[in-house]
Amino acid sequence: MALTGLQIFKLLPNTNCKKCGCPTCLAFAMKLAAGKESLDKCPDASPEAQAALGAASAPPIRAVTIGHGERAITVGEETVFFRHEKTFVHRPGFFRVLDASTPASAIEDRLTDWSAIRIDRAGEVFRVDGIAVVESPGSPEFAPAAAQAAAAHGLPVAILAATTKGAAAAAEPIKDRRPLIVPPAGADPGPFVALAARLGAALVVSGADLDSLAAAAADAARAGVADILLEPPGDDLATLHKHLTLVRRGALERIHPGLAYPVFLRVGAGEFSKAVVGTSTFASIMAVADSGGETWMPLWTLRQNIYTDPQQPLRMDPGIYAIGEPTGASPLLVTTNFSLTYFTVSTELDGVGVACYLAVVDAEGLSVLTAWSAGKFSGDRVGKALRELKAAEHVSHRTIIIPGYVAVISGELEDALGDGWQVLTGPQEASDIGPFFRDVWETARPK
Amino acid sequence: MTLTVKPKTWPGAIREVTLGAGSRQGLTIGGGKGLPLHTFEAAFPRRPLLALEITDVDPPRWVDTVRAPWDGALGRPDVAAKRAVEEYGADVVMLHLVGTHPDRGDRSPAEAVEATRQVLDAVGVPLIVKGPGGGSRQNDVLVRVAEECRGEGLVLHSAAQEDYKSLAAVTVAYGHVLVAESPIDLNIAKQLNILLSDANVDMDRVLIDPMTGGLGYGLEYSYSVMQRIRLAALGGDRMLNAPVICLVGEEAWKAKEVKVDGTPAAVWGDRARRGVQWEIATALPLLEAGADLLVLRHPEALAEVRRVVDGWFVAGS
Ligand code: B12
Ligand code: SF4
Repeated sequence: MALTGLQIFKLLPNTNCKKCGCPTCLAFAMKLAAGKESLDKCPDASPEAQAALGAASAPPIRAVTIGHGERAITVGEETVFFRHEKTFVHRPGFFRVLDASTPASAIEDRLTDWSAIRIDRAGEVFRVDGIAVVESPGSPEFAPAAAQAAAAHGLPVAILAATTKGAAAAAEPIKDRRPLIVPPAGADPGPFVALAARLGAALVVSGADLDSLAAAAADAARAGVADILLEPPGDDLATLHKHLTLVRRGALERIHPGLAYPVFLRVGAGEFSKAVVGTSTFASIMAVADSGGETWMPLWTLRQNIYTDPQQPLRMDPGIYAIGEPTGASPLLVTTNFSLTYFTVSTELDGVGVACYLAVVDAEGLSVLTAWSAGKFSGDRVGKALRELKAAEHVSHRTIIIPGYVAVISGELEDALGDGWQVLTGPQEASDIGPFFRDVWETARPK
Repeated sequence: MTLTVKPKTWPGAIREVTLGAGSRQGLTIGGGKGLPLHTFEAAFPRRPLLALEITDVDPPRWVDTVRAPWDGALGRPDVAAKRAVEEYGADVVMLHLVGTHPDRGDRSPAEAVEATRQVLDAVGVPLIVKGPGGGSRQNDVLVRVAEECRGEGLVLHSAAQEDYKSLAAVTVAYGHVLVAESPIDLNIAKQLNILLSDANVDMDRVLIDPMTGGLGYGLEYSYSVMQRIRLAALGGDRMLNAPVICLVGEEAWKAKEVKVDGTPAAVWGDRARRGVQWEIATALPLLEAGADLLVLRHPEALAEVRRVVDGWFVAGS
């Protein structure tokens, strides 16, 4: 929690020497509290004052970066409990578990496939954020080989360790790529702390309750580990959720320095609900054992929902977008600039394979019906926007296709466009555009 | 050293509302005295309830993967209701009168009553009756059902700010529960409840439907507005402390991602399972945001959410 002006004032020399540019120490303290000044302006501030203010202004949850280069992932630095207070800062990283049952010959193929996954959805690209390599004493070559292969793909690596020796063998060769070491449940933390400190690697610490969790983190920090993640206890979802909640609350209330870290969670095979609760309740890195799209698609999408700015819907720039390679005779359609709407319609149009123009008009980032009920997608507004976008210069015909949900604006839009324009009402759902092109556009289109 | 994170205490609590009366076994929801699911620091006398959605006619828009578990029961409300309760373990059934929509069958209010009666005869659990949606038909249908099934404590879905008077009147006259629906807007939710209480509806007979956006299609808005409604209620706002109902199945199964096969298949996975998990990933965040009554479509989604809820409220009601 930030310090108040009076608390800061007590830390200042109280000589009112004015070297900071303020008439009194108190005035300077007030400005500091409001974040309008910085302490270095006072040449006489004591080291204690610097330390206290530094700690108070540090983010309540540390930033931790795993990996190296373009795909490195940073988590932490969160400042609020509810997303409506302020946008959550860093999306959690979903790491895919690669275990020792993978034959050596298949490691490379699997990593090639996984690192290539990219799904564009409403302005975000879904990717596998990292690889959680399972260290198994039974096959000592596996983890080092898998970790190096993953690092070679540029992917952040977590090592789900079984032994300190195995963890060292896997982490050491990739220590420049900031791996994350995850000790086995219930292990003596000492040797893992020493290993992480020696390699400069990030470390997961755990504990049977909040006290021991915070103490373990504080111990690791004292021993020289800078990047720490907390693995909260909880065999059942209610207990886990309790600890996820208390860690976040404790960190925001700065009740113990050992809680000021992001959270790590392992999600075993079939534990979909745990992954869901982790995603919505503050987990920062999750190692997910299931690799099927039926699990990852909903998780990625939930993360997208929870981590977008609650005040500002994702928007597209207004403009006329070409789908395929349209010509002057191609269909022209119009929609709003809400990313989700644009994305839904454009992927559908891509799939249908009919080249066309999609005009995206500024509707303040709202969906079709929301925009229409808020007066941002009226016939007048759409007509004006289409003229500004010079829609007429893209096509040789004068026909515009509107979303089926706003059939009511067609008369007003025809009037607003004038000049022989004709409005054709499309289907309500984008998924029906294919049949619409075939059955309606083909007969109605200007020849 | 012992760490203490101060437990949060609140001046307000969620109201208790009983669903079902007469020939129904009544079930009560609400009563929570803390943030949703924060069972470690506040009392929750009632656990959230889970309903399954059934329909009066075969719903042509349902995707094959959610139709499958209802094979042979679609459009046969009595068969579907029995299956929902006896085989799939629903606490509550929601009869969605899709067929009364002028464009989807145009069935009469008398036929709606007939379908409702079949369900009432088939099962003894509380029943939610959902009309065809906005417009005058919604009122004609729900008013008739409310009259003809008086005293059953039906949950009537739903009244809106523009049009609530006739449903408010039948709720009071015939002993039902009314769902007050608002479009993801805390102020409208509150305003509508004020209007309802001015119309003599006892707030102990009202549920809030804040409108559900499905996963990937507005879930974040529903989630945040529900958290804000819950904070207001716990802060003592007695016009926002009604239990919350969410129509999860309907929204989750609308998503494009549950309908398409998706390419490449290795990245999209199994479509049927994806649909079920889409529904689960819509349901659980909404429980965390404050839902007291979830209406689901797929029995496997219900089974998993049930497992989570039961595990959470082990010593519960
Ligand atoms: C999330 C949401 C919101 C969010 C806004 C999200 C956003 N960025 O738009 C918030 C909470 C802010 C909101 C606010 C309001 N909302 Co609102 N909202 C919704 C909700 C739940 C989902 C909308 C959505 O994201 N849909 C997904 C997108 C992809 O759909 P879409 O844009 O329509 O695109 C589809 C089709 O139209 C088609 N399509 C799109 N473009 C094109 C183009 C062509 C050519 C074709 C052929 C097809 C096509 O393809 C897409 C997929 O099929 C809907 C209800 C629902 N479940 O649909 C209500 C809904 C749209 N909202 C509604 C209302 C009334 C409002 C408010 C006016 C309420 C109020 N508070 O007063 C406000 C207005 C906002 C304002 N600024 O004043 C009503 C509209 C009623 C009506 N029939 O007109 C709805 C339907 C809810 C309801 N039943 O009452 N809302
Ligand atoms: S420079 Fe430091 S000591 Fe001097 S007035 Fe400013 S705050 Fe006080």
